[in-house]
Amino acid sequence: MAAAGFEPRILVLSTNAISDPGIDYAGSGHVHYPAAARVLRFPCSSMIRPEFILHAFRSGFSGVLIAADGGDCPYLRDCPERTSRRINDAYALLKANGIDPSRLRMSGICSVCSEAFAKHVKSLYEAVQKLGPVVPPGA
Amino acid sequence: MVEAVTVAPKTAEHYDVLVVGAGIAGMEASLTLGDMGMKVLLVEKSPTIGGRLLLLSKVFPTLDCASCISGTKTSGTSHHPNVTMMTYSEVSEIRRNDKDGSFSLRYVEKPRYIDTALCTGCGECEKACPIILPKETEYGLRGRKAIYIPFDTAVPKKAVLDLDNCIFCGACERVCPADSIDFLQAPREHEAEVGAVILATGFEPFPIEKKESYHYGQFPNVVTSLQMDRLTGPTRPFNSILRPSDGKEPSNIAYALCAGSRDKTVGNLRCSQVCCMYSMKQAQLILGTLPAADVTLYYMDIRAYGKGFEEFYQQTKAMGVKFVRGRVAQVEEEKNGDLTVYHEDTEGPGGKGKSTHDLLVLSVGLLPMRGIEKVFKNATLELDEMGWVKLRDETRSPSETSIDGVFSAGTASGPKDVPDSIAEAASAAAQAVGYVLSWREKTGAAVGIPLPKSMPVPMPQAVEVAAK
Amino acid sequence: MAKVVLDKPGEAKEPARIGVYVCHCGGNISDYVDVAKVAETVAKEDGSVVVSKHLMFDCSDVAQQEMIDDIQKLKLNRLVTAACSPKLHEATFRAAAKRAGLNQYLTYHANIREQSSWPHSDDPHGATEKATSHVRSGIAYVKSAQPLDVLRSESTQSVMVVGGGVTGLRAALDLARMNVRVYLVEKAPYLGGHVAELASTYPLGEKGIAIVQRLVSEIQEQPNITVFTNAELVSFKGYVGKFSVTVRMNPRYVVDRSPRFAEAIEACPVQVPEEFDHGLTVRKAIYWPRGPTVPHLPLIDLGLCTRCGACERLLGKAVRFDQPPENLELQVGSVIVSTGFEDYTPALGEYGYGEIPDVVTLPEFERMLEFGDGSGLRHNGHAVGSIAYLYCVGSRQKPGEATTPGSPAHAYCSRFCCNATIHNALDVSGRYPDVRLYHFYRDIRTYGRNELLYEKAGRAGSIFVRYTEDHPPVVSQRDGTAHVTVQASILQNEAVDFPVDLVVLVTGMVSRENRSLNEMLSLPIGPDGFYREVHQKLRPVETNTAGLLIAGTAQAPKDIRETLYSGSAAAAKAATFALKKELELEPFVAFVDPARCSASGKCVAECPYGAIELREQGDFGKKAWVNSAVCKGCGACVAVCPTEAIQRAGFSNDQIRDMIRALGVAEEGA
Repeated sequence: MAAAGFEPRILVLSTNAISDPGIDYAGSGHVHYPAAARVLRFPCSSMIRPEFILHAFRSGFSGVLIAADGGDCPYLRDCPERTSRRINDAYALLKANGIDPSRLRMSGICSVCSEAFAKHVKSLYEAVQKLGPVVPPGA
Repeated sequence: MVEAVTVAPKTAEHYDVLVVGAGIAGMEASLTLGDMGMKVLLVEKSPTIGGRLLLLSKVFPTLDCASCISGTKTSGTSHHPNVTMMTYSEVSEIRRNDKDGSFSLRYVEKPRYIDTALCTGCGECEKACPIILPKETEYGLRGRKAIYIPFDTAVPKKAVLDLDNCIFCGACERVCPADSIDFLQAPREHEAEVGAVILATGFEPFPIEKKESYHYGQFPNVVTSLQMDRLTGPTRPFNSILRPSDGKEPSNIAYALCAGSRDKTVGNLRCSQVCCMYSMKQAQLILGTLPAADVTLYYMDIRAYGKGFEEFYQQTKAMGVKFVRGRVAQVEEEKNGDLTVYHEDTEGPGGKGKSTHDLLVLSVGLLPMRGIEKVFKNATLELDEMGWVKLRDETRSPSETSIDGVFSAGTASGPKDVPDSIAEAASAAAQAVGYVLSWREKTGAAVGIPLPKSMPVPMPQAVEVAAK
Repeated sequence: MAKVVLDKPGEAKEPARIGVYVCHCGGNISDYVDVAKVAETVAKEDGSVVVSKHLMFDCSDVAQQEMIDDIQKLKLNRLVTAACSPKLHEATFRAAAKRAGLNQYLTYHANIREQSSWPHSDDPHGATEKATSHVRSGIAYVKSAQPLDVLRSESTQSVMVVGGGVTGLRAALDLARMNVRVYLVEKAPYLGGHVAELASTYPLGEKGIAIVQRLVSEIQEQPNITVFTNAELVSFKGYVGKFSVTVRMNPRYVVDRSPRFAEAIEACPVQVPEEFDHGLTVRKAIYWPRGPTVPHLPLIDLGLCTRCGACERLLGKAVRFDQPPENLELQVGSVIVSTGFEDYTPALGEYGYGEIPDVVTLPEFERMLEFGDGSGLRHNGHAVGSIAYLYCVGSRQKPGEATTPGSPAHAYCSRFCCNATIHNALDVSGRYPDVRLYHFYRDIRTYGRNELLYEKAGRAGSIFVRYTEDHPPVVSQRDGTAHVTVQASILQNEAVDFPVDLVVLVTGMVSRENRSLNEMLSLPIGPDGFYREVHQKLRPVETNTAGLLIAGTAQAPKDIRETLYSGSAAAAKAATFALKKELELEPFVAFVDPARCSASGKCVAECPYGAIELREQGDFGKKAWVNSAVCKGCGACVAVCPTEAIQRAGFSNDQIRDMIRALGVAEEGA
């Protein structure tokens, strides 16, 4: 059950060329989503080491959204496949550390996909709110 | 855009190449030249760069998001140290100097009534302005204010004041946090010397009102493919595809291909080269949004000629889009706003047919953007019978126009898709550099391209001229 | 090659002295974000923040000057700005830092407008917390930031063009005109490729060989171009700016000029069909190539030569049967591959090809037109009064429709053929007005102004009959005459029989078999068999390998004008490297700490650009090594390294972890 008054924090990992401008675009359009979503931009989502995600959960985040480039990635034609591999590895790592893998999500966010971005953040926020805070194993 | 340099130097500016038009071809030419180390003056008449591509939904046949792929070009252009980008500016005069093959030009920076050095693109002025007008970049599907930022992904992201429609209420001036509004701004005329000229002036959509039997502008549910492109894009005005007459989601959409192309009756015999493909792209996007909709394309020949195009056509057919071979002849409006389409059907019984649809999209063709030929004062820029820039020697050096040192890029010389425009733009860049260097050699001027300077290029010479 | 220099562990670092500047953006930020509180909070929390201010407009000249003054007076060594999106002003503040004498990469620009105040205008408290946390992450970033500099890599100011068809000729010419040294390598003994064969080209009706000769005569005026015909690539290594390519010049066995070449060719007893004329003529074992040659000498086809000595007796020392191949190693900055296409060859019996003598392909027919003597069109011993063109032969095939066993179907459209065929029909109508012309087609794809050709052909008497893919025409022979049977809507869907004197199969372009070159250059190949560009829409002549460019019909079917554009475009891209003595590259590349590297090779496999290799590194042994001239900085390698030995300059793993930690800090009371 969710802890009373639990305010989850979401880490969004964006990409310089495509999804970060998409998140900017949500801002320009004053499209609202929970302010609990903090953004860190990467050159490409295929750079994200699974341990970074585990580190995020250990740093106070209760949800992580990878805002990937999808097929529009300027670096890699097969970026979606590579990013999926990272996420599969991260799922395994989270499971091994007792963290519900559904707290990690990925979505392709194009440079003008403001509504889609807001929708994904809200949905993850709500899901994570239901799950409650990440409890370290043995706590 | 060169940041923070506003001091006008005392002498006329020198550039290696002038590029007219900052659509995808103009940007590509400028970036390629800039990467070669050439100094480029890029003059764009609208308030923003990016041209038609930036405003498209997705592109065929890859279905890449147009904004995503062109965003790298707009930001690259605006930050390139060798490219001086002048938006909302028009070239007024070009003279060729026969002595050294160079060109002297004048161009006018139109007043935005905004101090662009101060404007942060926040949009407060837009909110305050009481005047609502149809928004050009949305083909009238949305409104804009008399003071406005053309669109959210605009480069440069600066406001522009449409003085013709301004009532001088002063609301924008009061709310602008940067104090950037300047009603007294006058046109500024600039002078420059360049080594070569690249024309990337683009196209305009065929004015389909001319095809009277289609009743565009009279029947609200007859729309153009440009409007439909906005409706299928991620930044679309409504969060779905809605038909104009009653806001209903259409369930039976028809495309009339060759609207304003391959048509003697409207004076354009040519094929516009991109309409088959963009119509199929839109059909696929429509099925993404409205999976249950029927989409019918009335066509004469499906011209899926480019790389990956035929495969895209087969995919579109496999998705259930209906292809009826025959041109739309006549459109009638029903009481409920639906449209009855009379068409040929060369493969069906009787050779013709009649069908009712709730939305009709006209796949409009392309016409040249005219006017650039008038700026050449001592040489003639030859155009073909349709007004496209004529290529002088297309089986040898296809970027050359009738004027030595003036090159064509992108749709200035005829309709074409993005990869062809890109290739032509880079080609024009190569040939322009070859031209500049060969003249420098002939005139004994320094040969070889100066390496890019680490300092930004100063703004060109500015001379105040009287306001209209 | 420039190196990214890292602080060694344990090396004393100068303590960070950070300046933070939070922007109001004239209310756009400060209306929703409590900018004063943001500035105060981060200053209070972190001792290394020397100064923390909130300013009306960070980007104004006044504010920038204030930052510069602070950097200099307060000896700040790190700068954090918090304002609009970094896409708008990151460059502005990097430039300001540079003006203050600070390395521009010791800065961070936090996004608190597009990503704080605007999307959270409904939640000022949340917006303020988020802005604070974005600034914290910026502080975390700059604390461990390293000064970076533009990377420099030397660049050879020359280009190799592989393939001497019109594309390669155009590319070579453009580069030479830009004062770039060019090596043009052609495998055949002559220049001009397929275009040289064409009797009449659309839309102007020029002879193909005339187009080739015009380009070649310009090439000859360019001292910067060295042409090798009868030559090929045998080795290729290196990277952009510094490729090393070995070209093998195959022997011609004719080494000197002689006034008696004509006699010698006459004397040769060996006769074979001439490929250039698609076998319509013959040539000898010693022969003149049919297009422009460099050097201007005939050659001996040693595979056919019987060593009878007839030519040698006439030519003396000009013939040298023991002439060896010669290898030449060349240094170039980039390589343009313009190796062209092959004509689709119908399978035996495909529409009667090879079985019915009156069935020919369009390229064969082009050559036939060249040999017309004006007395009328003749073929196979009879006059030709009617021609049936069958379109899309070998193009637009359905899956499984491939006629060559084992090869995939040609699903694509070959682009030029509708235009070329209709032009050919107009050419025939012009030469032989009485010949009846039937076109059996699926869609006429005379795109653009080529539509005018189509319109004109209709007026000139060509008859167009459309068939559908489900009912392709059938070609048969009865009583010595070819018949085309077709079912078409225009014929009331009845099967109608057309007896004709000649059937012309409109064959498309297929990719060239060139396995050794493709493997040597690691050229990417698409599903259609043609070279695959790195981005179909925006980068049509570039590949994943920087400095390796593709042009012309090797990339996709094109017509002459389009292929010339492609050649020039590739020249332009090559010139972006070749016009510089030194390439300046972004410093954001991967780097390896060889002490940590376990040589797992995972990064090597992950890199899409081939920028990483395992190589001997002194005491460390064989460890991963990044070629920073090739690395694009995507970071894919960073994610797969088991020991974190490979990281990205300007965004190290520790920086990332510090930033995540900073972003995760809970507000007091929250």
